[in-house]
Amino acid sequence: MSTRHSKAAKSFLENVERSEWHDNTLWGVRVKRDRMSKSLPEWERLRDAASAIKRHTLSHLDEYLEKFSENAQRNGVIVHWAANAEEFNAVVLDILKAHDVRKLVKSKSMLTEECEMNPYLEAHGIEVVETDLGERIIQLLDQKPSHIVMPAIHLTQEEVGELFEKELGSEKGNSDPTYLTYCARESLRNEFLTADAGLTGANFGVAETGEIVICTNEGNADMSTSVPKLHIAAMGIEKIIPDHKSLAVFHRLLARSATGQPSTTFTSHFRKARPGGEMHIILVDNGRSRMLAQEKHWETLKCIRCGACMNTCPVYRRSGGYSYTYIIPGPIGVNLGMARDAEKYHDNASACSLCCSCDNVCPAKVNLSEQIYSWRQELKSLGKAPMTKEMMSRGMKTVFDRPALYNLALKCSPLINAAVTCSQAVSLHLWGKGRSLPEFAKESFHSMWVKGKVKNDK
Amino acid sequence: MTSKQNILDGIRKNVRHDIEMPDIDAIVPVQYEDSLSKFVEMVKFVGGHARMLEPDEDINDAIRRNYPEAKVVASSLPYIKADKDPDMVQDAGELADVDLGVLEGRVAVAENGCVWIPQTMKERAVMFISQCLVIIVDRNDIVSNMHKAYEKVSSTEYLYGCFISGPSKTADIAQALVMGAQAARDVTVIVR
Ligand code: SF4
Ligand code: SF4
Repeated sequence: MSTRHSKAAKSFLENVERSEWHDNTLWGVRVKRDRMSKSLPEWERLRDAASAIKRHTLSHLDEYLEKFSENAQRNGVIVHWAANAEEFNAVVLDILKAHDVRKLVKSKSMLTEECEMNPYLEAHGIEVVETDLGERIIQLLDQKPSHIVMPAIHLTQEEVGELFEKELGSEKGNSDPTYLTYCARESLRNEFLTADAGLTGANFGVAETGEIVICTNEGNADMSTSVPKLHIAAMGIEKIIPDHKSLAVFHRLLARSATGQPSTTFTSHFRKARPGGEMHIILVDNGRSRMLAQEKHWETLKCIRCGACMNTCPVYRRSGGYSYTYIIPGPIGVNLGMARDAEKYHDNASACSLCCSCDNVCPAKVNLSEQIYSWRQELKSLGKAPMTKEMMSRGMKTVFDRPALYNLALKCSPLINAAVTCSQAVSLHLWGKGRSLPEFAKESFHSMWVKGKVKNDK
Repeated sequence: MTSKQNILDGIRKNVRHDIEMPDIDAIVPVQYEDSLSKFVEMVKFVGGHARMLEPDEDINDAIRRNYPEAKVVASSLPYIKADKDPDMVQDAGELADVDLGVLEGRVAVAENGCVWIPQTMKERAVMFISQCLVIIVDRNDIVSNMHKAYEKVSSTEYLYGCFISGPSKTADIAQALVMGAQAARDVTVIVR
């Protein structure tokens, strides 16, 4: 865990008001998500389809990647392949150097965080400007995102006000979010107009057409790619989907799950370079193909990075993103970190009460809690990690020290749906050994589990 | 080339399953009896304005009435009175002072207020850099849901296309919703 992580985690947890706000706010997003999901009678069918499409695509990933890259090349896009973070960073730098780029504007991409691209480019003399407002804020603070969709959710408006006063010359003492957003808007417009290239992530790569699709609310990915002539898109190989028909399914799920909106404001489809422009797509593996072989964990790759599992997770809501040691926090981050390097990130596996709430909201039906459970078993069988408090990260410990939290875990898990494949739920009792867990009434947990069994046997 | 081969070989070595593609057509999506009013409702829900073009109403008059203060109007549509043409500018940056961009949408989606706008102009920056946007859609182009929308989009050719659903927005500062993050602050959809 880097020092800035631990410092941020410490300050987050020391401020009771802040952590309560964090908890309530994210729960509010979860409630909005529920409202949206209930407005569509076909919601569960969409989730089933999303999961099945991803399972299919991942099991034929080589074919779809080849098809995608052929079609993209036919569209005049230059396609690169990067086996790992080093290769990825080098490819980006090569392209930028070939175009004599000094300033790069970029939209949000967890992949570039994973590859630590920004510090690499900066070390090579390239100015990198994040353009998603939340990302810009944490970039100016030299922090890391604490949430994959709401990267600055750990900060108060006063903190942003102070930052902008210092960095953007905003009025002293003015922390009105509208005012601050407009200050950032003005400053970023200038960046878009003076940048030499734009870099984006990709939410989806459509094999049938060779296009990439990016979903944003701010329009910053579009600003980054409609003013500078050079567009570089960074995409993890698991983002491939077969066709527009599949895209419709994911589109309907993504924003509803992420923020409770019926759609993001912009859903941008990049097929060819602009007239007079140039477009590159970099396909990045960095451990993904290896995950396909992990029989219990390969379905983690179905994730579409909506963040819903974080918003619902009682542990995440109470402890904040910085209390996890992997760059992606929350339920999905626990699993991605373990899949990447179980030794290094094993302490995150304890950040879970196995309430199964994450499984119930995930639009791609990633079996998050089941996987966390099996990671714990795997660690145990390796004799590596007894599930004691000592192995938890500092942030987790604070949360787990407050048993009242577990009331919440129960409350936020709609009992009927919660069951799913939660046979591992039994482990909750094991976990509770040596600790007092009075609030988790055995009956209610048991009945939840039984309901799940009944449901599964149907 | 070697990285490509390594990645593909790695995948082939590691994949453990052969799973079939599900039948997406088996999903019965929501259909609105009155997709026009649902569309109008959703445009408002996502923070935009929607209005009908009255019979006999001139589109340029309608735009002026809605944005009387717009000084610089940009459009490449031949029937729109504009000060700048995104087809004619040398550089996207020339559109930085545009107050109002006027665009045509090709598909409108009732379930989420999205309008599909393919790039038909040289500089698509007009879709994002303009302070306000007017999007003109034909009432016959309204569909109920995204499945239908993508069916329509699939049958067309485009180098770039965007579904726009209301004004640019953010809640990145303390989760307070603010319209006008990076792109248009105000969007009006005119249905004709
Ligand atoms: S099962 Fe674990 S990771 Fe998932 S929501 Fe509950 S506590 Fe969080
Ligand atoms: S695991 Fe599921 S809920 Fe979590 S971010 Fe990924 S898609 Fe969203």
